[in-house]
This record gives sequence, C-alpha cells and structure tokens, in this order.
Amino acid sequence: MKVYRDDQRLLNFRINVFMWLIILGIAVLAGSFWYVQGVHAERFRGLSESNRLREISIPAQRGLILDRNGKIFVDNRPSYTLMLVRSDLARLEQSDPGHREQMIAFLSAALDLPASDIEKRITRHDEVPRNRAVPLVEELNIQQVSEVEAHRLSFPALSVTTVPRRHYRYSTMAAHVLGYIGESTPEDLDRDPDLQMGDILGKKGIELVYDDYLRGIDGNRLMIVDSHGQFLSEIEDTRLEAVSGENLYLTIDFDLQRRAEQYFFENEMVGTAVALDPRNGEILALVSSPAFDPNVYSKRLAPETWRLILSNSFKVELNRAIQGLYSPGSVFKPVMAMAALEKGVITADTSFNCRGQQTFFGRSFRCWKRGGHGDVKLEEALKISCDIYFYNLGALLGVDTIASYAKSLTFGERARIDLAGEKPGLVPTTAWARDVQKRSWYPSETISVSIGQGPLLVNPLQVANMMAAIANGGVVYRPHLVREIESKDKDGRLVHREIQQEVLHKIEIDQKALEVVRSGLWRAVNEIHGTAWSARVPGLDIAGKTGTAQVITQETWTKSQDLPYRFRDHAWFASFAPKDNPELVVVVFVEHGGHGGSEAAPLATEIYRAWFSERLARGGNLATRESLSNREERVQ
Amino acid sequence: MLGSRTVLRLDFNLFGTAILLAVIGCILIYSATWASADTSVVQRQIIWLVAGIALSMVFIFVDYHVFLDMSGVLWGIGVALLLYLWLWGKATANVHSWIHLGPVQFQPSEFAKIFTALALAKYFESNDRAYLDLKGLLMIGTTIGIPVALIVIQPDFGTAATFLPLIAAAMFFGGIKPRYWVIAVMIVLIALPTAWMFLLKPYQQERIKTFLDPERDPLGSGYQVMQAKIAIGSGGITGKGFREGTQASLEFLPARHTDFIFAVLGEEFGFIGVFVVLGLYLFLLVQCLQVAREARDRSGAFLVICLVSFIVFHVFINVAMQIGLVPTTGIPLPFLSYGGSSTLMFLFAIALILNVDLRKLVNV
Repeated sequence: MKVYRDDQRLLNFRINVFMWLIILGIAVLAGSFWYVQGVHAERFRGLSESNRLREISIPAQRGLILDRNGKIFVDNRPSYTLMLVRSDLARLEQSDPGHREQMIAFLSAALDLPASDIEKRITRHDEVPRNRAVPLVEELNIQQVSEVEAHRLSFPALSVTTVPRRHYRYSTMAAHVLGYIGESTPEDLDRDPDLQMGDILGKKGIELVYDDYLRGIDGNRLMIVDSHGQFLSEIEDTRLEAVSGENLYLTIDFDLQRRAEQYFFENEMVGTAVALDPRNGEILALVSSPAFDPNVYSKRLAPETWRLILSNSFKVELNRAIQGLYSPGSVFKPVMAMAALEKGVITADTSFNCRGQQTFFGRSFRCWKRGGHGDVKLEEALKISCDIYFYNLGALLGVDTIASYAKSLTFGERARIDLAGEKPGLVPTTAWARDVQKRSWYPSETISVSIGQGPLLVNPLQVANMMAAIANGGVVYRPHLVREIESKDKDGRLVHREIQQEVLHKIEIDQKALEVVRSGLWRAVNEIHGTAWSARVPGLDIAGKTGTAQVITQETWTKSQDLPYRFRDHAWFASFAPKDNPELVVVVFVEHGGHGGSEAAPLATEIYRAWFSERLARGGNLATRESLSNREERVQ
Repeated sequence: MLGSRTVLRLDFNLFGTAILLAVIGCILIYSATWASADTSVVQRQIIWLVAGIALSMVFIFVDYHVFLDMSGVLWGIGVALLLYLWLWGKATANVHSWIHLGPVQFQPSEFAKIFTALALAKYFESNDRAYLDLKGLLMIGTTIGIPVALIVIQPDFGTAATFLPLIAAAMFFGGIKPRYWVIAVMIVLIALPTAWMFLLKPYQQERIKTFLDPERDPLGSGYQVMQAKIAIGSGGITGKGFREGTQASLEFLPARHTDFIFAVLGEEFGFIGVFVVLGLYLFLLVQCLQVAREARDRSGAFLVICLVSFIVFHVFINVAMQIGLVPTTGIPLPFLSYGGSSTLMFLFAIALILNVDLRKLVNV
C-alpha cells in the first residue's frame, strides 16, 4: 500500500476549493429560490389560481365482431354521458356557497333521479384525480342532453360527452358466442396493471376471450381551461391518439345461426345446436337457448334487473353447448362401434342375437325394443340402435378401453374452444371409481355406459367433435369461433391474420372400419326403420344418430311425452352430411325434448337444407367434382 | 471484518443526514401522488429504501480496498451491461436504458457510474504526481470515455452528461497544467456547435432554446418549467402546507414525484423548506469532504471525491432546473426523487464514503 505524502497539502487545498465552490453554489441556489418565492410569490400565486389543466380521455373504438361473410354482429354507437369535473365544483362552491346544492337539485329535476343518488354518484370516484372529468350519468336521451346544455353557463362543472356504446345489433342472437362487456372489477385491476377503475372490458364469450384484440388503447389530451371551464387550447405535444381495437371475423354463418335460433324460439325449446365444418373445426352455428340480450348486460345494471336475471330458472347465461353436461344416450354408440372394431373384439360381420333382453354380470338389461331385433350386425345395430348389440360390445371392451377411446374424441376433456368456461364432463374409469368415488367399479355399470348412460356426462360440443372425426377420417380439430383478425398496420393498411386450424387428436382407426360406422349412420337416416328416418333429405346423404337420454330411471314403461316436463327425456341428434366427403356436422340437443328423431332431427334437417340449398336446387347430386376425384384416389 | 467498536465509530451524522433526506423524499412523494390513480408509489419507494440500506451494509463493512482491487472487473461488468443494452436495443429497434430481471428492472448506467468512480480511484492510488501527464489523461479519458460513449449511442444524452462531474473531478484533483486547460477549452468550443448541428435531435435543440427563453412557448417544452416555477413561486415563504399543493395534486406538474419533486417541496413547504433541505445537502457534502481530507490513502480520498462530485452535480442540476436556471433533463435529485436505481446508487455512494471514513485509522 502506497501511503501518500508529497501532495497531501496540494490535495487538501483542492478539496477546500471544491468545498467553497459547493457553498457558493448552494448560496446561489438559495438566492434564486428567494427571488422566486420571496420576491415574486404574489405573481406566481395568481398564476397558480388561474392555472386549470384538464385531462380528457379519448376512448378507443372497440373492435367490431362480424360473421364469416363480413356481416356485422357487434359495433359501437354513440351515446351521451354526463361528465363532472369535481375540482371545478369545489372551486365554484367556494366562491358561491350553495352552488353544489343548486346543481344537484337541477340534475335531480332534469334527469328524474333522487338527489341522494346524484350525491352518491359524485363521491363514487374518490380515487380518480379531481381535475379529471368523471362520468356521472350515462345514456342520456336527447331531451336530457339539451336540458343540461341549456344550463351549461350556470353549472360550468358539468358537460356532456359522446362515448361509444357497445351495440349488439341482433340483441339475443349468438349471445352465448359474442358474450358481453362490463366495467373492470378490482380483480381485473390486479390481473392487468394497465387497467383503470371504470374501464370497459369483455366479461363473457368472444368479448372476454379476445378482449386484448378488441379493446384498443385509449388516448388522452391535456386541455387548458379558463375559470369558467371553457377550453382555451390543447397542449398538443402531450396528445395521445386512441388506437382502435381489432376486428374479429367469426366462423359463424349469420343465416345458419339465425335459422337455428328461430327453430328453438318458435318451438319454445330449451337446448343447443352446434354446426361445424369437419374439415377444419370452424363452428358455423352455435345456439344455446334460451339466450340473453348482451345490450342489457353491457349497461350498468340496476339491482332489480340483476335479481330478475339471477332468478331465471332456465339459466340463460349457461352456454349449453359447452357448459351443459348431459348423458349422451345412443349418440355414444358410434364410439363403441369404433372402439370395438379398432380393438379387434368384433368385425363388421360379427352378429349378436337380440331377444329384447339379456343378462350381464348377474343383472338383466333390456333393449329399447321389447320384442328384440333378432340377429344383428354392426351396421344394422347402428341403424336400428339396438341396445343389446352395444351391451355386448361393452362387455367385451371393458370400461377402461371405452374411456381411453372416448377421451381421444375429446370426451372428458376441454376441447379448448375459444370461449371461457368449457366443462369437460366425465368419462368414468375404474380408476375414477376408486380414487374419486372411493368404491370399486361394478362391471354391470360398463353395460350402462355402452349405451351412453350411467355416470357418463358429455357436452354437445364434444358430440360434434366426435361426429366430425367420424366424418373426416379420424382427425379431431380444435373447434373454434374466430376465423380472422383484422387490424391496421402503422401506415393504416388493413392486415388480416387467419386463425390456423389445429389438430387435437388423431384417433386410431382403420379407414375401412370407419366406413362401416359411416355406413351404419347413413342407413339410420336413409333406410326405412332407421331410427333417424324422419331426418332424411332426398338428394342429400345425411348420416346420423339419434339419442334419448333418460332423466330419471324408468321403472315403468311410460311414454316420455306423458311425463311432467322436467322428467321428460332429453333428445339428441348428431349427424354429418354428405356421407362421402362430409362438409357439415350438425348436433342438436333439446332438453326434455323426448325422442331425438322427432324433436331434434327436424332442426338438423333445416340446417342442412339451408346450407346445401344451392346444390339441392341444382339437381340434388351432392357428389361434387372434388369428392368424385377423391373417391377415385381411394379406389386406387 | 471489523469489530463492534468500529461499527460504533460509524459516522452517524453523515449517514443520518442521508436517511433524513430520504425520509423527507418519501413524505414529498406521498404528497405528490396521494391524489393520483397510482397511490402505491410511496410504498415502492420505501421498499427500495429499506432494500438499499440493507444492501449498503456490504459497501460499508467490506473494506473498500477489496472493491478497489476488483474495480477493473466491476468496470468491465458495467461496460458489458451497457454494451448488451446497446446491442439488444439495436435488435429490438427500441431506445432502452433498462434491463429487466424478472420483476425488477434497473438502469445499468447508474451502476456504471459507481464502477467508473472505483476504477478512477484505483488509478489515482498509484499516480501521485501534482499534475497529470498525457498518459494519465489518456488513461482517465478511456476509463470514463468508454461507458459514456456507450450511453450516448443508446442514445441517452442526459445520463451521459451525469459523467461530466467525474471528468471535472479527475481533471481538477488530478491536476491539469495551464496549457492543457487551453486545449480543453478549445475542444469544447469546437465540439459544442458541432454537437448542436449533428448530434442533437430537434426536441433536444428545442429544449435548449426554450431554456434560453422559457416563456416563448409556455405550452410546449417550457411547460414543465413554467408549471414547476408556478408551483414553487406560489408556495411563498411558508408554503401551502403538507398535501395542500394544488399544482402538484391536481397534476399540473408533470414528473412531480421524480424529477420535479423539489417543486413539490417548494410549493408545500415554501422557502423555509427549500432552505432547510439545501442546508441538509450542504451539511452532508461538507462532511463527505472531511472524510476525503482524513482518508488513509490517496485512493480513498479520490473515491470520496468522485462520489461527492456525483452528488453535487445531481443536486445542482436538478435544483437549478426547477426554476429554469438550466435546461430540463431527466436528472433525479439524490435521496428525494422517486426511483429504484438512483436511490440504490446514492445509498451505495454514501456507504462507500462511510467505508473510507471507518478505515481512516485502521492499520492495514
């Protein structure tokens, strides 16, 4: 270590110079402040009094939601909001005691609201800076607007601004898909630090899931105002322009959606319908009935409106297509058929004898046809929905094999549709009985599962996924509702981003075996005595399966329509068309609808007629050139 | 390590003054933000302070010679971080002076300052000439020049300017012969117009023009200064009182909890408040210089001098900018302004000064 000696004095001298420079500097600063605060204080006090700066938010336009062809489902409309600047109000009250009371009395009369309510609205925004305008009353009508504007000079703290209001053009239409918006809650603020109290964001449906795309970015500007609240000028270099949200093109087809909804509405049915394209998972229609009006939900709701919504026994908010869990009944039979063929426990020619009932594991099980079907092979069994045949498959496969096959068709899991709140349902296994139910699995329960009863619970979208996989040769696509996102780039040009299809599973099955299943489903619709005979459309090769899910165990043979509504069976119809190179899957589910063939199938028929109307008009031959060439390839 | 007797010898006057200033800072930050949308600012500042004081212990109790011996490596780390920022900034086409580490983000330039000060002190340990020769000038020039260049190309002129006091301190305390002064002045005279024409962005030129005539455009670049001046002036001698400042709470004053925190002081506590806080700074700086005088060795003295020059520069520029004596730059006020990196930086600086003070009588 080198200890310094020579220049200690020189260094100390320099340090002293430095110190005196610091003292001098501080003295100069103190002197300057004295000049500003002591000598010129009065002048600056005056400036401070007249200094009024106001921050005005420029709300971003929320993105539009359109159908697959560009028809607008949701847009924004101007609506009038009464704004108040509380710092102005406080100042006016100071110079003119009683002003605040007068203003409240005026508003109470003009807007027909109790004075106490207006008082509450003023104090609601305590956490927002006081010089920022806050919304007092929303959705003023024209009369109220002119009333307030006429008294603008008497009450300068008030103003009326135009804000975009979310508008669902067709009220209840596609409500469960579109969802609705609402004000941010404290939980939202914790999740996203960019949000502020009172910001509008998606609460359900597409509005929620795609909120980041739709929301856009609010802008703001700083205005200098005089003591009467009149704008003098804007501080332009602080201006932040609002950025509009991005537009979403749905996969939904407007006409198809409307037709399906009308069917439920006209027949006063509770239930759901899903139409999707088996080639890519695009959902063309998704109905859940009854529906709600998102326009009502997107306003600030009065407490009595909430009570009314919550007391509705039909659970309007429930999206039955993805959140309703039901027994699949006979629509589960194709899963059994595919599993049995793939696992090799039967061939297409294996036959079982149906005598109307059979005993499995010491319990007697009945076929729906008491007289029995006689010797039945697989295709025939699908056509006439013979229970005994599928009981036998269940006994041969065992519940765990059935479960693993069902899971590859999205049963018991979430198919990751772009909506929130999907319920996975339940596919029972021996492990489930042991771990969750704390009991052992009874083999006889497997027999119930074979015809879609027992603890098995599915949602209608999963049935649609299954049908799509049967239709397209075994691929399970992720079902989705948004097809394209449209945004503007820096230069204002439109940019389109397509949502890519995504494969969830590829099921293991031999194509020939799958053709047997398809053929059975085709015969169910198109051959006499097929259970879905009523759904046939001449010229259109629909393949499908009806289902009837029992709500309570029927000890006696009572016809379902004679039972009280809530005990009636649920009706299913799951289908695709055309049989070769299918383009559309339709699943219809009617709660307490009775029999699938008579209650659910007609809607499917209507949807097919609408979708294929052009081709049906052209002469009924649906084998397009594309499908013909595919068929040739397969022959080779 | 040092015994408990040495701990008791810690200069509590000096440390206490720094902490007192930081507490005043928290009070002002609270007053500046309580009415705004984000009221958690003061809580974050307190967390930074507590964390900073805890971390400072390392810089107090580990002998500063350890840091001096590591100074080359530390300086290298500082330069590497700045280099990384630059390359990464180039890759993302963004101006960034922050590095994100999980939830924490920090400005490497703040730490580069301390590391550069250490490197300079280390250099002067072995250079005890009365005046610097050309080789010495080059050494100093490189040590300071590389980090400054890396900050300039970010580009962040404001932060680069905060290295000026280091250059001044090195030249003044290292000693410069008159003819070098002449050369230095000539370089500055040539460099300034060149920089004005080629280096400064229009908004930076605008700031300097507005500084020369702030009332020229009260709503544009001069807006901040006008608002700060109105806030300070309207405070008068006694001030409007705690939380009563309308300029600040009504959000007329931009950056009021960071760069313009002193204006909040001026508005709410008046000239008396300003006078007391300036007095505290003076008291702090004079004590620090006393540490430099009594330092055991040349490197200790130079370390203290470099760190003091930083504090002086920040205080002078920031306070002077409040009433428009110098152009508005993003330079925080030591211990008072809100901000994690700068709070840590100044606490560490004080810790190192205390470190030198603790060891003035210790035999090594």
